Amino acid sequence: MTALPATRSAVPAPRRRWGSTGIRRRLAPYVFVLPFVAVFLAFSVYPLIFTARLSFTNWRGTGAAEWVGWGNYTYLLTSPGFWQSLGNSAVLWLLIVPIQLAVGVVIAVLLNSAKLRMRGVYRVAFIVPFVTPLVAVAQIWVVLFDQKYGAVNAFLGLFGLPDIGWLTTSEWAKPTLALLFLWKTTGFIVIILLSGLQSIDGNLYEAAALDGASRTRQLWSITVPLLRRTILFAVVLQTLAVFQMFAEPFVVTQGGPYNSTTTAGYYLYNHITRADLGTGAANSFLLVILVMALSLLFVRLLRAKD
Amino acid sequence: MRHHTSRAARALAGLGALAAATLVVTGCGPDITGGGSTPDADRLQAPTEKNPSGEITIWDRSGDLFEVFEAAIDDFNEVYPDITVNHVAIDIDARLQNTLITGTDVPDGVFLDDAKVGGFAEFLWDLSDVLAPYTDEIAPQKLDVNTVDGGIYGVPFDLDPGLLFYNATALEAAGVDATTIETYDDLIEAARAYKKAVPSSGPIHIEQSPFLGQLQLDMYANQLGTSIADADGQVRLESPEFEQILTWLDNVQKDGLGTRAEYLSPTDIGELENGNEVFYPWAIWFDFAPQQLLAETSGDWRAMELPSWEDGGARSGAMGGASFVLPREGENSGLAWLFYQFLMFDEAGYTPVWGPNDVYPDGLNTSIPSYIPAADPAKPLFAPLKALGGQDLWAVATEAGAEIPGTAPIPTWWAGAVDYLGNNLQRMYDGDMTPDEVLTQSTADIQKNLIDRR
Repeated sequence: MTALPATRSAVPAPRRRWGSTGIRRRLAPYVFVLPFVAVFLAFSVYPLIFTARLSFTNWRGTGAAEWVGWGNYTYLLTSPGFWQSLGNSAVLWLLIVPIQLAVGVVIAVLLNSAKLRMRGVYRVAFIVPFVTPLVAVAQIWVVLFDQKYGAVNAFLGLFGLPDIGWLTTSEWAKPTLALLFLWKTTGFIVIILLSGLQSIDGNLYEAAALDGASRTRQLWSITVPLLRRTILFAVVLQTLAVFQMFAEPFVVTQGGPYNSTTTAGYYLYNHITRADLGTGAANSFLLVILVMALSLLFVRLLRAKD
Repeated sequence: MRHHTSRAARALAGLGALAAATLVVTGCGPDITGGGSTPDADRLQAPTEKNPSGEITIWDRSGDLFEVFEAAIDDFNEVYPDITVNHVAIDIDARLQNTLITGTDVPDGVFLDDAKVGGFAEFLWDLSDVLAPYTDEIAPQKLDVNTVDGGIYGVPFDLDPGLLFYNATALEAAGVDATTIETYDDLIEAARAYKKAVPSSGPIHIEQSPFLGQLQLDMYANQLGTSIADADGQVRLESPEFEQILTWLDNVQKDGLGTRAEYLSPTDIGELENGNEVFYPWAIWFDFAPQQLLAETSGDWRAMELPSWEDGGARSGAMGGASFVLPREGENSGLAWLFYQFLMFDEAGYTPVWGPNDVYPDGLNTSIPSYIPAADPAKPLFAPLKALGGQDLWAVATEAGAEIPGTAPIPTWWAGAVDYLGNNLQRMYDGDMTPDEVLTQSTADIQKNLIDRR
């Protein structure tokens, strides 16, 4: 140990040259992360900052962008159309997420049961809507929910109920769209919840059964608490999906009637397609802030009882 | 301690590099100024070589028209053997804007709805010089919709005259003679007579889609020589012409003389098939329905010129239509012009487009040429339609097309106006607004949200 300083002083430190082992070792981590950093800069940081810059301009895709300060933001925040789009998304969220999670948990529990026959068949059946092209589903929806010739009203007519303008009235268009979203994406949520269920130790259920806990009691006292993190993930995922929902109203209702199905994502799209890129950029930033705030709120609410 | 300092320094250096790189990349993009700017508009000149050669990329939307143009390329290559046409089927609405903004892989020619030409004008060649030999022989409405600030930015493709389609068999059974209809008042009377015979009916189609409702309104307005915007792009809805049209539409709805449905939705098709809806004032392309969708009443339908708004008034107005635009960033725009010149203004070019071809053995009958010499009523390009009881639609459509008045360019905010005018029109049908309120409110909303913000 004592000889070490002498050895150190006796042997001159090697000159640091490019290509020497030490330098290469030091540089190696940076070289490894460089591809990611480059891609991250090009496709995440750059678009983000470019969009931020764009949101303060009036740019139509050509020529110089005119600096308008907070003009786009104040226009949006005082625009009834912007608030209506947020309101539409909020109502759709209420119609979709709580129902989807409640139904999803029940279905996932059933599919997780060892006693259920043909579990594989059911699991595939639930995921089929998710992988079916939306355009095809939307066309079926339009036919099914047609006011005069649709199968849904024909069925309701058997019970003496009047025709409902499912897609042509502001009152019913949102629930009809929510139903389409539920039908299409619940299978995916079930798969996520199922993966959460399979990580729960089966001994807990056995012990609870021995203690006399009923199935319902097991569901509320074991399954739901232990699924909390998975449910949180699903809530955040679906909140993002609902506020960015675009394809469904685009194909089925074109945002109508009277913009009652113009979601936040669809409203944003309208600015972009009309080459109002500055307002579109401001709109997307406001949406990001809102969705992040909502996601953080859900995280806090659901983590509170951990 | 030194270890910590070194780590912090490296982290700081990394952050600095990240920030510097970010600043560099964000330097790209549009310049920001205190005010707008307008790039110079160049006029395209035709190639002067004897045997022009090269490759052109042409964008068309996928579907039947793509196939029709694809088949016409062989005819083009007989005249221009050294020009290779790279014909691409593409979602133009989704791709064109980004392509023009970024200037990457810009095509030489693009098929584009007339309503969108104005919005892209700054990226396009002014075709005034190359079109000069033909302008006197192009339907005025088509030239007008392609004109922005005095420049012409599209090679006019089709003319889509508005016609009155009617179910001749159903009307005859009810004792109504549609051929005597000359004005919109006559149409109301015919509808009343039909409703008397068939009480469950709503004889006249009322469009429920805000977008198509606004497009149809533009057709009615075009008949009266007006449009929703003037040549300067200013809204001009508050006029006696629009008041007249909206009052008429409102009366149709209030008197129970209309079937309100989205164009060819299940409800619309059902009502057309069961004889409840027998009058369809629409563009020529409605003829697709009796040919393809109306299995039970195919053959019962006929077409005539639209009624006029006053005695002796124009008997048609345009509804829709498309043109070909040539982006200035295209590599071989001159060659692309030769392609469109051949297709639209050379008999060897437009004949395979509208005449019998592999896609349409009887010819393409959902529009007519906008080039007047090609739209000669005496020289039909497409055959009579079985779905219209063997009627010579070519003669009806070309005669109607000749009546279409000129108009103003379609404003760039046209599609955005659907949120206001299109929706307010539906509110009027719902009984929530009067015609006057529709015009006043829509004018204010369009001015505030679309015009003032440009």
